[in-house]
Amino acid sequence: MRLLTHNMLSCNVKGVTNGFPLIIQADKVLEKPAELNHDFLRNMFYKVDWKALVDAAKSMGYSELPESAEASMLESLDFLNRFHHALMELHLEEGALICPETGRKFPVDKGIPNMLLHEDEV
Amino acid sequence: MVLGSLLINQHPLLFKNERLPWRHGPRDAGYPFSRRKMIIRPRATSSNSSTAEADNVGLGRSSLVLNKGIAEFYDESSGVWENIWGDHMHHGFYDDDSSVSLSDHRLAQIRMIEEALRFASVPSGEENTSDGKIPKRIVDVGCGIGGSSRYLARKYGAECRGITLSPVQAERATALALSQGLSDKVSFQVADALEQPFPDEQFDLVWSMESGEHMPNKLKFVNELVRVAAPGGTIIIVTWCHRDLAEGEDSLQPWEKGLLDKICKAYFLPSWCSAADYVKLLQSLSLDDIRTADWTQYVAPFWPAVLQSAFTWKGLTSLLRSGFKTIKGALVMPLMIEGFKKGVIKFSIITCRKPK
Repeated sequence: MRLLTHNMLSCNVKGVTNGFPLIIQADKVLEKPAELNHDFLRNMFYKVDWKALVDAAKSMGYSELPESAEASMLESLDFLNRFHHALMELHLEEGALICPETGRKFPVDKGIPNMLLHEDEV
Repeated sequence: MVLGSLLINQHPLLFKNERLPWRHGPRDAGYPFSRRKMIIRPRATSSNSSTAEADNVGLGRSSLVLNKGIAEFYDESSGVWENIWGDHMHHGFYDDDSSVSLSDHRLAQIRMIEEALRFASVPSGEENTSDGKIPKRIVDVGCGIGGSSRYLARKYGAECRGITLSPVQAERATALALSQGLSDKVSFQVADALEQPFPDEQFDLVWSMESGEHMPNKLKFVNELVRVAAPGGTIIIVTWCHRDLAEGEDSLQPWEKGLLDKICKAYFLPSWCSAADYVKLLQSLSLDDIRTADWTQYVAPFWPAVLQSAFTWKGLTSLLRSGFKTIKGALVMPLMIEGFKKGVIKFSIITCRKPK
């Protein structure tokens, strides 16, 4: 699971109002190179929750993203590379996504998050 | 065909009088809107007994039993399907029902995707039209092993997320995306279409290709499709329905219900509804440009072909190696053919656009 995906997953347990972003428990992280796409990154910049991305990247062992970012930084190749690396090249293979409100853990197995709810959570 | 019918009529184990776990549950107290940022409240819907029955299926335990059945069915059978039919787990679209070969079926399955996009006026080329833009973010609800996800991602250069109840399918879908160089574009999660793990308004295109028939609560299913659709986004539902009820008809005939019940048991389907029911739901949610069509005539060669493939050497050996759920599913195929022929089962498309 890439952080691109993480940035749009939220906990949907009944009664939870603040289920985003999910906290990452990173048991196994892999780095997989991916081709950098300038246009894609520029588009994504306006859609991602930046703080969520920064925190998620840190929990995956990558701390090179600036704490805050603005569109002008997209001109910098260095910034783009870091953004690309965090968003697209870090993969959570094993671990869990934890609801910030309830602590509920959604397991991640072989890179696939399981977001299914239990009977009492619906 | 004869073998199939013989087994269905005489096998004592296949159609025991077991109570379907997902029917006639307690009436749901109401869809829990409050936990979402965006509250979608349908206006009073004119109730129709089959929709009411679909809504009456209780959330909670009965849905979870159904979901478990669905997940296990697809965990068990996806490999068999892929082995014979490839990665698209949906009907093909055919011009007429003259005999077609297996490679024609794969083209027909791709055509089904293209025809659905065309029906919903999703632009095909590079250009944006006044009807809508090229989708850039897509959700594939009930994605199977990701055939549609990968096809749409490739076609539009879009990001596509697929959700499925089956961990085996999610894993296979991911592996196929990797082998096809699409891992940066598509990703798959195990999740429930009735509780999509996405925030509101994320997707330009919300795609449900033959998954709607598994949803035990059509209102909730449609609500989620609408919730995750971006303003101006398109929703496409291609699904098995029962025929629209006639004026004054409260429900299907008993023999029709009996036929569908047998199919439900084998394929882990809850109560069926009609295309008209979907249209009413979408109307109650104030969606734009609601369209529907009966595509039953365009899918006629499909089930006979699937049945035939089951009785090839490859088909039989795969089935025997698979498991009971898959075999049961295969044995029920003649009932699907009967259902289509007798006008009980309809292959329907329903599309709409979320207002901006």
